[in-house]
Amino acid sequence: MHHAYIDKFAYQDSPVHQLDARVKFIVLVVFTAVVISQPLTRPAILPCYAVGPFVLLVVARIPLRFVFKEILLVSPFVLVLALSCPLYDRTGVTVSFGPFVWDTSAGWLRCAVILGKFVVTMLALIALVSTTRFNDLLVGLQKLGVPKLLVIQLGFLYRYIFILIDRVQHMLRARAARKLRNLGFRTELKTAAAMVGSLLVRSIDNAENISLAMQGRGFDGTWRTITRLRVRPADLIFAAGAGCFLVALQFIVRPALQ
Amino acid sequence: MANAIELVDFSYSYPDGTRALSGITLSVEHGRRVALIGPNGAGKSTLLLAMAGFVKGQGKVFVDGLEVTRKNIKKIRRLLGCCLENADDQLFMPTLFDDIAFGPLNMGLEGEQAETKVRETLEVVGLTGMGDKAPHHLSAGQKRAAAIAAVLAMSPKIITFDEPDGSLDPSNRKNLLRLLAGLSQTLVIATCNIDFAAAVAERAVLIDSGRIIADGDAEEVMHDAELMTGHGLEVPQRRSK
Repeated sequence: MHHAYIDKFAYQDSPVHQLDARVKFIVLVVFTAVVISQPLTRPAILPCYAVGPFVLLVVARIPLRFVFKEILLVSPFVLVLALSCPLYDRTGVTVSFGPFVWDTSAGWLRCAVILGKFVVTMLALIALVSTTRFNDLLVGLQKLGVPKLLVIQLGFLYRYIFILIDRVQHMLRARAARKLRNLGFRTELKTAAAMVGSLLVRSIDNAENISLAMQGRGFDGTWRTITRLRVRPADLIFAAGAGCFLVALQFIVRPALQ
Repeated sequence: MANAIELVDFSYSYPDGTRALSGITLSVEHGRRVALIGPNGAGKSTLLLAMAGFVKGQGKVFVDGLEVTRKNIKKIRRLLGCCLENADDQLFMPTLFDDIAFGPLNMGLEGEQAETKVRETLEVVGLTGMGDKAPHHLSAGQKRAAAIAAVLAMSPKIITFDEPDGSLDPSNRKNLLRLLAGLSQTLVIATCNIDFAAAVAERAVLIDSGRIIADGDAEEVMHDAELMTGHGLEVPQRRSK
């Protein structure tokens, strides 16, 4: 069975793809921290932050349709949080944007900021994942000192999530083939619980076999890759450019917008 | 010269106490192709795991003269490669190229050396140009070939296969037979497909209930109808030689 996988554009070639995985990861972490730390009442600066990842996505030739589809896929979790803001904070505020001035509640303003931060950070995350081979990212994380266990788990999560999805689909198909009538909520719940249990047991079995396969091929807990990670002048220019972009937004654009 | 594989009075029980292997004594000379045949649950897979040092029981196991012990396990891994029953378990990297490079990189090969090894191995198994594919996007036959490539890339002297022909269509089975025929390594193949075993092996070891029932020339063992049917197997449809 074929699945769309998260780094399917990471095997393209572009100046962004060629950047060192560690540099891209560090820039992403700093960028995310800066975006998240923006005040909850000032949404106007967020579109400016979106310019950075947007430029990277365009240079890397990542289809924007794919990007927004990915954002939509994850959005329900944040939407619940964002849409609950107007319910508990109804304090009236006046918002101005250029020549436009209007009245709203602080809750709606907060909702807009949460959604804005979510979209901007997701753009940055997709820019990283779509321009970096997952394996290089894992090696980069390992070299940055992220615990080996976490790196290995991330690697397996990426690889085996698709096998698990396949298994779930097979199980659902098998159930559908034998389910000839509506069994009622309680029975359905019982069946679902049994399926989850079975899936868990199979995953453990799967994990044991993978462990055998890895040990059989000399794995000693260190993730190795054929790509040699090295920081080149282009990486330093990228990091410096990202730093200037963030500083300019923080200390020049933001005060100008206030 | 030491045998490729040697088991001396080897026994193993599962953690729940079920006896899986009882007093197995077996020698496999270098360059031989041995089929481990037997019904489901006979102990074939466990025997392969014991050869690779994945299960520890009573008795001794030697690989190319080295006793399978914790101290020797790294050397054993270089000498003996194992193809698991389910290719999905064996292919765990994001791309086929990375997957095949996994073993050579762990063996200490770097950059270009590992890359050359991967390309050569892909060519041997007929998957040239597919290195960028994700393993879970391959067909069953390609996955099997890829799993073999992953082991071959480590240049082992001995390769064990657990039900290598499982879930393959006739055309892919033929390809697999051709691939196995071209290998110079010592091969130990566990299978309950007797026709497949007859086509690939020169020696057959019949196992049932964790014991060796018969061991000898593949033709003789597999064409003994009474022996084969008595252990839930069948006689090959045609003579292999």
